[in-house]
Amino acid sequence: MTAELDDFQAMAELPGDEDGPPLEHVHPGYKNVLRVRMLVIWIAPIIAAAILDSAVLEDSMFRWLPTIAVPLLAAIAITVAPQRIYRRLRYRLTDRLLHVVRGWLFHTDTVVPFVRVQHLDVTRGPVEKLFGTATLVVHTAGTHNSIVTVPGLAPDRAAEIRDVIREHIRTDFD
Amino acid sequence: MAEDRAVGAPERLHPYFLLTGLGTSLRGMLGAYAAIAYLAVTGRLRYAVIGAGLLILFSAIGLFLYWRRFEYRVGATEIRIDSGIVSRTHRSIPYDRIQDVDITQGPLSRMLGLARVKFETGGSAGGNQEEGVLQAIPLARAEELRQLVRSRRSASAAAAEPDSIEESEPVYAMAPPRLILAGVFNFSLALFAGLFGVFQFFGDILGFDPFSRVFWIRLLAASAPLQAFLMTHQVVAVIGGLILLALIGVASGIVRSVLRDYGFRLDRIESGLRRRRGLLTRTDVSLPVKRVQAAIIGSGPVRDGFGFGELKLQNLARDEKQGDHVVAPLAGEAEVDHILGEIGWRPLARGADWRPISQAYVWTLAVGLSPFILLALLMALAAAATAWSPPADLGEMVDESLGAMLITSLIFLTIMIVGITVRWLAWRRSAYALDGDRILVKGGWWKRRIVILPLAKIQSIDIQESFVSRWFGISSMQFGVAGGSGFSAHNIPALPRETARKFRTELIVSMP
Repeated sequence: MTAELDDFQAMAELPGDEDGPPLEHVHPGYKNVLRVRMLVIWIAPIIAAAILDSAVLEDSMFRWLPTIAVPLLAAIAITVAPQRIYRRLRYRLTDRLLHVVRGWLFHTDTVVPFVRVQHLDVTRGPVEKLFGTATLVVHTAGTHNSIVTVPGLAPDRAAEIRDVIREHIRTDFD
Repeated sequence: MAEDRAVGAPERLHPYFLLTGLGTSLRGMLGAYAAIAYLAVTGRLRYAVIGAGLLILFSAIGLFLYWRRFEYRVGATEIRIDSGIVSRTHRSIPYDRIQDVDITQGPLSRMLGLARVKFETGGSAGGNQEEGVLQAIPLARAEELRQLVRSRRSASAAAAEPDSIEESEPVYAMAPPRLILAGVFNFSLALFAGLFGVFQFFGDILGFDPFSRVFWIRLLAASAPLQAFLMTHQVVAVIGGLILLALIGVASGIVRSVLRDYGFRLDRIESGLRRRRGLLTRTDVSLPVKRVQAAIIGSGPVRDGFGFGELKLQNLARDEKQGDHVVAPLAGEAEVDHILGEIGWRPLARGADWRPISQAYVWTLAVGLSPFILLALLMALAAAATAWSPPADLGEMVDESLGAMLITSLIFLTIMIVGITVRWLAWRRSAYALDGDRILVKGGWWKRRIVILPLAKIQSIDIQESFVSRWFGISSMQFGVAGGSGFSAHNIPALPRETARKFRTELIVSMP
């Protein structure tokens, strides 16, 4: 496990740019946000499985299988995935860019120079409020990557980053 | 009425809009036509006629209401557009924000002397196309509006631009021979494949069907001389069919090119370039230099051999249909350099320090396709083995489906092998370079392109890895650039992980 993490850390590093600050984790409360969101997503399949079970599989040998298996899958997903997503989501600010690293199977490592940011949002949904996190939304002019998000930040930190980036924004297009 | 002067008097679209707009609004209702066609085909002709009548009636009423409720005002500082039948929209577009005025004329509009006017604003791509469009106003009024907008924009810098560009030499223009040549290169493989499919489908009627299962099975079972005869016969038919298809493909390419690019003319104007083209539908589009994000030189294997390419400029606004504005459908290297020079860009450095991309670009595709290749191979082998030494109880039907299976799997196999070969050819052509304040990326074999992307226009840089590419230790780089179509994101497909990171650092350091 540690080897895997080291590998990950190595991938995220920018060679030749070592003087920048290291990559940071987001607020741990983000794990709970993810858990609640996944729970909400899984509710529909769980209900659908239960209905399917009682309506179609009444007399078959698979009776009770969906009702038990789907919530089990959900439980595994909810306990395992948020931890991993959280561990693999990192960000940092250097003096000129925002750097966000995320994902494992499909690993993405994004940099957005501050001067390219068009505008900024800090959003907080009800679940995020509950666990004390906020999402920083960075809008760029690019068609690809027009929105870069950093979820799971502590609200103060999100506001701080917003203020740092805001200093650098200037309109690029006439 | 000081306020009225500031806002301007309300104006309507030309009443002929009811005529020109009808075609457009009728074109938009494909579902209704399907329903009418269904009624007609199933013999309920009366209902079909009534349905068609109602459709036209409702379109006309809708159009009339749109016209009745549509007003625009040309004010001192802005243009206002009030529209909407039930929910009203009041849009005001300040002159400061209007980059330029695009004028389009369809065939009917040209006969009636009307034009469609679109105010190009700073709205980013993918946005609402209907932002600031006047569907049908007299052409003279459209020209007047364009002059007005230009004079407002350049008021601070200099006097209004004199309309003397007609006399000056165009930056690029297409003479008829060049237009025909462009049409020949416009030969569409997709259309070719489509026609091929149609011929297959209606093959029995045309007496041309190399995919006939029975035919191939009998061919395999028959004796050698007969087989040879059939083979020759078949080859003759196939060659004849292919030549016919090729002729149709070339002819349709020429027709499409002439329709779109007849009278193609690119002029230098104060803010950038002005393009006029079209045989039936004339368009008149301006491209302000400031809004050009990237230049793309596209070509194909044949065109490239003749030293020709197509120059496109990626702009904040979208062109008529595609994302990028074609500024030269068929141009030689010198012409491309000349056009780039006109917008103040350096010519493409021929001796640039091109760096190759990783060969894993080919291997990742091969690995990704390997399960399917294996499957197709197994299917082909199984089918072939059973066909040559069939069990005694094998019926005619099974026999036939075996042949089909063999052919299908062989076709799949060929497609995948061709795909990998083309990927390999593309890899040999792929390279990237840092050319001062811009990057150059080239790639593709069938659809060749060279992208010139100024560092100042890069909005974000992604380095991506997938679980396949990670085995090879390679990443792809993707650049966020404004405008263009979402599918044509600029990327460098396969770089060793460390190289990608070093290159990104290099870019970030040299970014203005």
